[in-house]
Amino acid sequence: MTVRRCCALALMSVLVSATGAPPASAQKAGGTLVQITQPEPPNLAPYISTSAPIGQVTAKVYDGLLEYGFDLKPKPSLAQSWELAPDGKTVTFWLRTDVRFHDGRPFTSADVQFTIMDVLKKVHPRGINTFRDVTAVETPDEHTAVFRLANAAPYMLSALSGYESPMLPKHIFSQGDIKTHANANNPVGTGPFRFVEWRRGELVRLDKNADYWRKGLPYLDRIVVRFINDEATRTAAIEKGEAHVAGFGAVPYSDAKKLAQLPSIEVTTKGYEMISPVVELLINTKKPPLDNQKVRQAMAYAIDRQFVIDNIWFGYGRPATGPMSSNFAPSGLYTADVTKYQTPDGVATANKLLDEAGFARTDGGVRFEIVHDITPYGPEWQRFGEVVQQQLAKVGIKATLRYEDVATWLKRIYTDYDFFLTSNFLYNLPDPVLGVHRAIHGRLIKQGTVFVNGSQWSNPRSDELMDKATTEPDLKKRGEYYHEVQKIVVDGSPIIWVFELNFPTVVNKRYHDVIASPLGIYTNFAAAWRE
Amino acid sequence: MGSSRLGRYVLRRLLQAIPVVLGVVILNFLLLQLAPGDAATVLAGEAGGAPAEYVEALRQRFGLDKPLLVRLALYVKNILALDLGYSFRNQSPVLPLILARLSATLLLMVTTLILSLGLGVLLGLLAAVWVRTWKDHLISVAAIIAYAMPLFWIGLMLILLFAIKLDWLPTSGMEDAAAFYEGPERFLDIARHLILPAITLSLFYMALYARLMRATMLEQRGLDYVTTARAKGLAERQITLRHVLRNALMPVVTVAGVQVGGLLGGSVVVEAVFAWPGLGQLAFQSLFARDLNLLLGIFFISSCLVVLVNIVVDVVYVLLDPRVRVG
Repeated sequence: MTVRRCCALALMSVLVSATGAPPASAQKAGGTLVQITQPEPPNLAPYISTSAPIGQVTAKVYDGLLEYGFDLKPKPSLAQSWELAPDGKTVTFWLRTDVRFHDGRPFTSADVQFTIMDVLKKVHPRGINTFRDVTAVETPDEHTAVFRLANAAPYMLSALSGYESPMLPKHIFSQGDIKTHANANNPVGTGPFRFVEWRRGELVRLDKNADYWRKGLPYLDRIVVRFINDEATRTAAIEKGEAHVAGFGAVPYSDAKKLAQLPSIEVTTKGYEMISPVVELLINTKKPPLDNQKVRQAMAYAIDRQFVIDNIWFGYGRPATGPMSSNFAPSGLYTADVTKYQTPDGVATANKLLDEAGFARTDGGVRFEIVHDITPYGPEWQRFGEVVQQQLAKVGIKATLRYEDVATWLKRIYTDYDFFLTSNFLYNLPDPVLGVHRAIHGRLIKQGTVFVNGSQWSNPRSDELMDKATTEPDLKKRGEYYHEVQKIVVDGSPIIWVFELNFPTVVNKRYHDVIASPLGIYTNFAAAWRE
Repeated sequence: MGSSRLGRYVLRRLLQAIPVVLGVVILNFLLLQLAPGDAATVLAGEAGGAPAEYVEALRQRFGLDKPLLVRLALYVKNILALDLGYSFRNQSPVLPLILARLSATLLLMVTTLILSLGLGVLLGLLAAVWVRTWKDHLISVAAIIAYAMPLFWIGLMLILLFAIKLDWLPTSGMEDAAAFYEGPERFLDIARHLILPAITLSLFYMALYARLMRATMLEQRGLDYVTTARAKGLAERQITLRHVLRNALMPVVTVAGVQVGGLLGGSVVVEAVFAWPGLGQLAFQSLFARDLNLLLGIFFISSCLVVLVNIVVDVVYVLLDPRVRVG
């Protein structure tokens, strides 16, 4: 059982790495870490919502079956080992035997079965897709859970973290309606920190779980998650040392640069490798003249990606080449061998393509007019809109800017399809099946569903390749399928993939091993410690 | 005036308030329907992409699939039974969500009201006494500057000066997030955190009351009863404090009552800058999340508060000026 042996070794290594790189004597127990999360989570029910702030809090309370290294490979967590059947249709997890929930009850395979089949598969926004092929979770004994699948689902193993698939106590959450459960805001998990209180509008307090299954951890006595609405105040709180860690754009990009100059602050862009946000310009390919491939390609040539990164996002990014983040390069799924739109003569090429497409300049130099909808996520998106407007103007496309609130914008883009071009950013997530297909697969042109294929573009060949990759357990073959997908889709240009966003996370230097996994602030901070 | 008469007056005003509050709720309900998009879309958006079935299930759970009038009728019926409904986004009934935040807002508002009224009246009075001297000009210019500065900017400047540069006060929050004090220490901790937001919110209103007080004081001092008092040989200090002040206070009290609504609005900005956990922030978040039940609940409580304060102001009016009748 090679996988089990591997897992035993991996378990040892995770125990070493999870406790931090420095020698054991360096780490000190005690202290409170104050994390800024923005905005305040609407609830603490990660099994029913994947709203970003929820996971930043609850990942400290709930464990998952697995954890992940920076190479995106799974590591043991509540499951100490696992085995994948050769046909990929059965996955067996052997669970730890020494794990207890915060209320003292033991964690068993019945909790896994309940969490997957009765909760995540039914009410988790992404779980519905992730576990769609899971037909049953069998529990031959208290510490073995066997997942039976209708089709192989290699991507599932990358979605079992405490953030993405938190393991819930069956004895609590099976009582009553899961959608309006009394414990939605009183989470009870197996994680290193237990929930104490939530002062609405102010903070969530999580105290050390003295009975945590990883002996000697966590080091910190307490984590306090604070909510500060104003971005300048968030920066001030970090600068003054009132708060110690903030990620996911909680500190403005310009301020992150300034804070990095302080001797007490470290700024890192690590901790987003399993999220891989990509900033894009979504094109409505059903709306003339954007239904013309040459026009879309011309627009892709017209956008200067490096200018956007340097001047709007203060350097926190790298140019994107296509629908998949280069974070998939280590697994072999990513390729840069696609049509390259970021070229020194981009404007000239764009002009040539637009001429060929039959859109000559009129007297005012304008070929045609469109409206550009700005993502309503903050000031940098407004500035991005202005840059897009200026860069498109260089090739004779006049773009008028429109800014609406989130609800109105989502309805316009994904329900009414009443748009030409909009900025957006999508997470690639840990596997293309989970984060990439939704934007480019023909089956995911679903009116009324947000953050799916809003361009309404598809290609039968790329759809077929994505379907094959979904069930293909062999990584090399998956890589081949995805390389071809990237070539087809980039050539079709339904979306202008602008850049891979590197969120800055600011950390007070007195705290160590805070960002210790590719899920960054979405992890449990068990190994974090204070000087 | 007898206390029973005043009691009847208050009761009548309270009964009159019911249709006012109900009108506010119905109007807000209808206005909010005009905005495109709904809570289900926002929740699905936050989920980073959810299947259509999920969004549809959310709509059914939230009751958004029912006709508008049915929803309105249901809401009004519940409001009359003082049931503010359930916030699906927050996974909690609305009332406890609001009550948890109300105390912070009330603390900020009452402190602001005391600070701005007290100092505003005092400065206005002094400016009137020192009229056309350099002291009067100083107070007037300072009041105009305080009146003209945006709240968020004052807040940020105070944070920079007192929290970052001088390190005297905390930047934000209502309590030290890492300490969790109890008893008197907690009281002092909250007081320290209250200083900057209360000053920020007070400056505008203090300037307003100072200007108003100065103007009405000067107006009153020109009236016949003051001339008569002077002719009778009363000392200037006695005329000012016993007669002019009392009459000059009337418009200030009226404006203070009306400004309570504005104070709630101003607290949205100040609460955001100082991360003060009050109703303002909750209203802000629920608006953008289209959390209709919660938003309407906040409007309901706020309108009750404004109506109540105005009744109190009317009573104070009666007590200040015996000429005002409550028959």
